[in-house]
Amino acid sequence: MKYLLKEETVCADREFELIRITDKVRDFVRESGIVNGICFCITEHTTTGITVNESLPCVEKDILETMDRIIPENYPYHHNHYLDSYGTIGGNAPGHLKSLLTGNHCVFPVIDGELKLGHADDIYFCEYDGIKTRRYMIYIIGE
Amino acid sequence: MLIDAHVRPALFEPICQDRNRFHNRCDAMHYHRMNPSGMELLKKQYLLADITGVFLLPSDCSAETGDSEISNDEIARIVALDPDLYYGFAAVDPRNKNAASELTRAFTDLRLRGLYINTARLHIYPGDARLRAMLDICREYGKPVIFHAGFSFEKDALAMYSRPIDFEPVIAQYEDINFCLTHMGWPWVQETAALLLKYPNAYANTALMNFDGPYQIYRKVFLEDMGELWVEHNLSDKILFGSGSPRIRPVRSRRGLDSLGFSEETRERIYYRNARRFLGSKEY
Repeated sequence: MKYLLKEETVCADREFELIRITDKVRDFVRESGIVNGICFCITEHTTTGITVNESLPCVEKDILETMDRIIPENYPYHHNHYLDSYGTIGGNAPGHLKSLLTGNHCVFPVIDGELKLGHADDIYFCEYDGIKTRRYMIYIIGE
Repeated sequence: MLIDAHVRPALFEPICQDRNRFHNRCDAMHYHRMNPSGMELLKKQYLLADITGVFLLPSDCSAETGDSEISNDEIARIVALDPDLYYGFAAVDPRNKNAASELTRAFTDLRLRGLYINTARLHIYPGDARLRAMLDICREYGKPVIFHAGFSFEKDALAMYSRPIDFEPVIAQYEDINFCLTHMGWPWVQETAALLLKYPNAYANTALMNFDGPYQIYRKVFLEDMGELWVEHNLSDKILFGSGSPRIRPVRSRRGLDSLGFSEETRERIYYRNARRFLGSKEY
């Protein structure tokens, strides 16, 4: 059994953005040499997410706009206050809440050395609190 | 277009190479659990907020601490990376014997655009003779002055030394120097408003992140603490946008101000025209 970890860096161009990372994950699966196993994709941050959806601009727009409707920027969140431990204002409550909706990870089978995805599936790193330099993990377990 | 007239470059990567210096700076300025930011990342953040100009404010309390937290040379080094984007300000500790020569060097050799002074940290009152000596140099070189005003989160800073109304004799005496009071002088917002109303050379900036988020604090200060028409009818040409970054990201400050419903003409003044005029530009 092999256990392989890769950490990738990503930086959005906008505050809220869905960034397609399917090719990065697929490439690492191929490089790993693992024929059968399981692949985890996990974000390292609490105001980002990892999700799967169909890579159409209209769908991406609907996802982000729906999240904005559910979790508006100007709501008086409890987190909107001075945080002495940072010396800053907690201005990213929407990011924390949006990250709940997509979760912090996705899981995929590795079969015959390839990442197994549904025909419309793409993997996204979801930025909800940009613009920052971010990291996510690709972790593969298998033989 | 937006000019951010209040950025402390404490976390700018090019001046964070020395870890001890970085930690001492963050401790003094009260920034914690944050990492240095690369210049390309900062540029992306500025682009997001439509920022085309940034005032860089240094920090010098060296008579007490032994070294400035952000030096004039560090400010000049950042400005050199993008002279069209950055407007570097100088800081000196007027209690140092070499303060006058350092300020002169900052204006002549480093070509910095004005002076930033935090009397709350220096524990000197605005009328202190040592400070007036610095203002005489600003007058000689035609440079504007940014005073920290009101409450400060910085270590050992005492707001009793930076009440807005205590700056009045200085603003009145040096009528040929443009002065900007930071943070709207919070919590003494009405004192600041009174100075803005009376003195043509008095300005203030909007770096105000202390309570709540930008939607709430700006509403409280600009529409409740101040009469809801004060900015629109009297003070629209006296207020500069300032984020107070890194305490908050500029795009969030901007959204808070955008939400107040000011006219387009007032927003243009606050967002960039007043900053240009404060710096001495005839075309603003």
